[in-house]
Amino acid sequence: MIQVNGLTKSYGDFQAVKGISFEALPGEVFALLGRNGAGKTTTIEVLAGFQPADAGQARVLGLDPMKDRRQVRRRTGIMLQEAGFFPDLTVVQTVESWRAFTPAARPAHEALELAGLLDRSATKVRQLSGGEKRRLDLALALLGRPDVLFLDEPTTGMDPEARRNTWEVVRALAAEGTTILLTTHYLDEAQRLATRMAIMDRGEIVASGGMAETLATQAGRVSFELPEGISPQELPLPVTMAGAVATCRAEDPDLAAQRLLSWAAEKGLRLRGLEVRTASLEDLFLEGIGNA
Amino acid sequence: MRDFMAVARFGGRLYWRDKVALSTSVALSLGLGIGMPFLMAKLRPGDSGLLLDMHLGLLAMIMTLSALLQAAVNLSARRDQLILKRMRATGLNDREIIGGELANIAAQAVLLALVVTVVLYVAAGMPTPGNPLVLVAFVVAGAAVLSLLGAAWTVAISRAELAAAVTMPWFMLAGLGAGGFGPIIQLLPSWVGTVLNLLPTGGIVEGARFAYTGEGNVLLALLNLAVWTAIGLIVLRYRFRWEPRKS
Ligand SMILES: Nc1ncnc2c1ncn2[C@@H]1O[C@H](COP(=O)(O)OP(=O)(O)OP(=O)(O)O)[C@@H](O)[C@H]1O
Ligand SMILES: [Mg+2]
Repeated sequence: MIQVNGLTKSYGDFQAVKGISFEALPGEVFALLGRNGAGKTTTIEVLAGFQPADAGQARVLGLDPMKDRRQVRRRTGIMLQEAGFFPDLTVVQTVESWRAFTPAARPAHEALELAGLLDRSATKVRQLSGGEKRRLDLALALLGRPDVLFLDEPTTGMDPEARRNTWEVVRALAAEGTTILLTTHYLDEAQRLATRMAIMDRGEIVASGGMAETLATQAGRVSFELPEGISPQELPLPVTMAGAVATCRAEDPDLAAQRLLSWAAEKGLRLRGLEVRTASLEDLFLEGIGNA
Repeated sequence: MRDFMAVARFGGRLYWRDKVALSTSVALSLGLGIGMPFLMAKLRPGDSGLLLDMHLGLLAMIMTLSALLQAAVNLSARRDQLILKRMRATGLNDREIIGGELANIAAQAVLLALVVTVVLYVAAGMPTPGNPLVLVAFVVAGAAVLSLLGAAWTVAISRAELAAAVTMPWFMLAGLGAGGFGPIIQLLPSWVGTVLNLLPTGGIVEGARFAYTGEGNVLLALLNLAVWTAIGLIVLRYRFRWEPRKS
């Protein structure tokens, strides 16, 4: 369980995190989203006890991550956004070395299997590809069967199959009751995995809530090429224009599309390039940081 | 304790596959530490006092190399490669990480010093110490203090590539003060010698000399090492950087 209340963190006189609050429950995947420099990694590093908070409260498993760092660390797995390996060790040697530092660690082959890296066991770390290194990161984060898992951009650089595999692992762990805090720039990933999310911008949370509920309140879109000789005012629904493409926002985009199509049929027109999109996290994201 | 030993063992495994450690710490220490006194013994056979002086001077130098320099190079590299950061992501606490790394480095430094010393007894006819336990105690304590200072010295190393260059003054001053370059110190004003004796290697050499000849002030030597230990611990506690990003 993760609780954050009014968390503030500055580097020098630059405020990277400005009083954010959120909570992630056991069995939940919580997505922390936001563009580069929003303060996501800083938040995770404070929660994982790498740096003290300047103000506000952070609790992981009910403990203070700075003061009770040892207890917290023993029950958390962390996939840092950036961390190094010993290049001359092989994959399995790396995992075995890390097992020595981890109480009640999983067997190496189990961690490697979870991360989909079993067939690269004997490869030296320096020879791994970027995505394979990320999988090794995941294997190390899962070693201690953590109750809380911090995943800072876990799938960056992974191929589609590895990403899917990682999602499966994340879902399975959440189903077992692990609390998971995830940051990602892949909004589809967040939309698929997370039950709740917060969007950060410049150190502040600009939108947050349950994934399904939040998306449900968002408008979908219908876009199409405006037929020649028709002005936007003649359309049955209000649209915004971008070049020749008209976009109509509607709570129920299917219904809006039907209306537009029947209007066009009456007039004997065609709506070229018609696209109907339900609300996505991406719309919400762009809107959230646009308003900030 | 278990975790501390796990880090030390891990450090040991890496040490013996680390080409930089093997070529600077191991090869240079053995080469200098055995080679120079050995040459001296060939040039001036029978002058065992001179041989011992030379050895103690070089002992200061090779321990600076194998403990202080090795710790500074090793920890600044692991800091810059974000390996310390990854180690901190485990259940290990900060003391276990640095302590384990330093325990390994100090152990390797003790091993090298003992190999050099024993080879000189056997092959160059160097006199053995009157009080071998005191000698071992000072070598072990010295290796520990110097590795600790190497870790503390990483605060002065902005980038790992610069570690060796930035740490070189310790080596040169240790050699100058302890007589590893020969009795150059006698050509300089006397206060230079006094100041250089304040170096941690000054304490080690003073203690070792006592073990061999019974001359010198052991208490002062111990005090020297105690003060440097305190300095090292304070710097580590308040200034150590775990990752290259400064905050
Ligand atoms: N140690 C540091 N010293 C100074 N500034 C820092 C430090 N760490 C982070 N920052 C600054 O704090 C801000 C937030 O950084 P953070 O790494 O938390 O962003 P992020 O949301 O994780 O971004 P990204 O998506 O690019 O990973 C950035 O503007 C960064 O430059
Ligand atoms: Mg980040």
